[in-house]
Amino acid sequence: MDATTVIAVISCAIVFCGWLVLPHSATTVKPVVVSEEERTPVSVSA
Amino acid sequence: MKIDSGDTAWVLASAALVMLMTPALGFFYGGLVRRKNVLSTIMHSFFILCLISVQWVLWGYSLAFGPDKFHLIGGLEWIGLNNVGFTPNPDYAPTIPHQAYMVFQMMFAVITPALISGAFAERQRFKAFVLFSLLWATFVYDPIAHWVWGAGGWLHNLGALDFAGGTVVHISSGVSALVAALVLGRRLGFGQQKSEPHDATMTILGACLLWFGWFGFNAGSAVAAGTLATSAFVVTNTATAMAALTWMTVSWYHKRQPSVLGAAAGAVAGLVAITPASGFVNVMGAIVIGFGAGVVCYAAIQLRERIHVDDALDVWAVHGVGGTWGALATGLFATIAINSGAANGLFYGNPKQVLIQLVAIGAAWGWSIIGTFVILKVVNQFVPLRVQEDEEVLGLDISQHGEPAYAL
Repeated sequence: MDATTVIAVISCAIVFCGWLVLPHSATTVKPVVVSEEERTPVSVSA
Repeated sequence: MKIDSGDTAWVLASAALVMLMTPALGFFYGGLVRRKNVLSTIMHSFFILCLISVQWVLWGYSLAFGPDKFHLIGGLEWIGLNNVGFTPNPDYAPTIPHQAYMVFQMMFAVITPALISGAFAERQRFKAFVLFSLLWATFVYDPIAHWVWGAGGWLHNLGALDFAGGTVVHISSGVSALVAALVLGRRLGFGQQKSEPHDATMTILGACLLWFGWFGFNAGSAVAAGTLATSAFVVTNTATAMAALTWMTVSWYHKRQPSVLGAAAGAVAGLVAITPASGFVNVMGAIVIGFGAGVVCYAAIQLRERIHVDDALDVWAVHGVGGTWGALATGLFATIAINSGAANGLFYGNPKQVLIQLVAIGAAWGWSIIGTFVILKVVNQFVPLRVQEDEEVLGLDISQHGEPAYAL
């Protein structure tokens, strides 16, 4: 295995393993308020 | 010399692919600006496609690739495509019509000044842009193209490796973008109000089209439909994907979220960085180049933000720094196992190649800085570079072109 391959493998390992420690979600998502009007099914016809 | 139909077909198709990159760049940039400036931003790319197409056949190709003068510039013997016919030119592409090579190179000359337009987006006067682009293509792009690619050019003779334009296209445009951003100054409200991209989907579409067109840019630079084009195609895709993954991961760590626009910018950084190396490195080299591009270009944006330079669409960070990394990496990872007509890099026993690459990088940086600064100052004597404040507030679509982008 040559030096280029070793560096390439290390590069991939850094990126792929990095995903294991990254946050699942950064921001707290506020619950979306859905109005009654939006809850009502809409009938669509041509 | 016998014309090879396969090679000719591939180079002409590649020219068409590279042509597509310029409007793709318009969409990439267009999505990143505010909605009042999207049309003017796309117009920069579209207009340059037209302008340089004419400049190139009149005198650009002759200056860049014509008979060598003092190892610095091509002569005027090929002006108006005089002596540029259908007989192959053995110095550049021995198996395709000379005009096929000329039109392929034309598309490189087209996209290079279009790249710079991202730096002065949302504030440059259109008339000043027209003059600047014509002068820049003539006095900055054409000489550098001759130094690196022209038969007899001094960097060509020195042995500098630049397969598809890391030095000629990306360093020149990226560094010039930085100079342009500094000379024009910051946009109104820069640093006080956030300038959000008005249409991220447009930018993603532009990035994907750039990726597609880049296969012509890099694999087409083999100027033959064979093994070298295949290798260039594979490493281009590999480095691009790796850079996008790396940028997304770095930004995810830094900003705590995986940015979609970041992934797209990372892909472009990877495309830029692999460009000079695409005909010289294997896939492992491409992975390292892509990884490096994702890291250094992202870091360059952080630096640019910290020093408050308003390079509006980060042309310097992606193209200037990415091109520099790619040119340097070519000197590290090039191997004659991929291209027997080139040279090995440091990791394959030839440290001298790194020095040659550094000379080429320094020359491209130096000429781009000097040339761009002088051209901007000259243009400013005749046409103010920036629009007036009220025009900037109104937006360039209306103030410069009298047309809104959207009637929504």
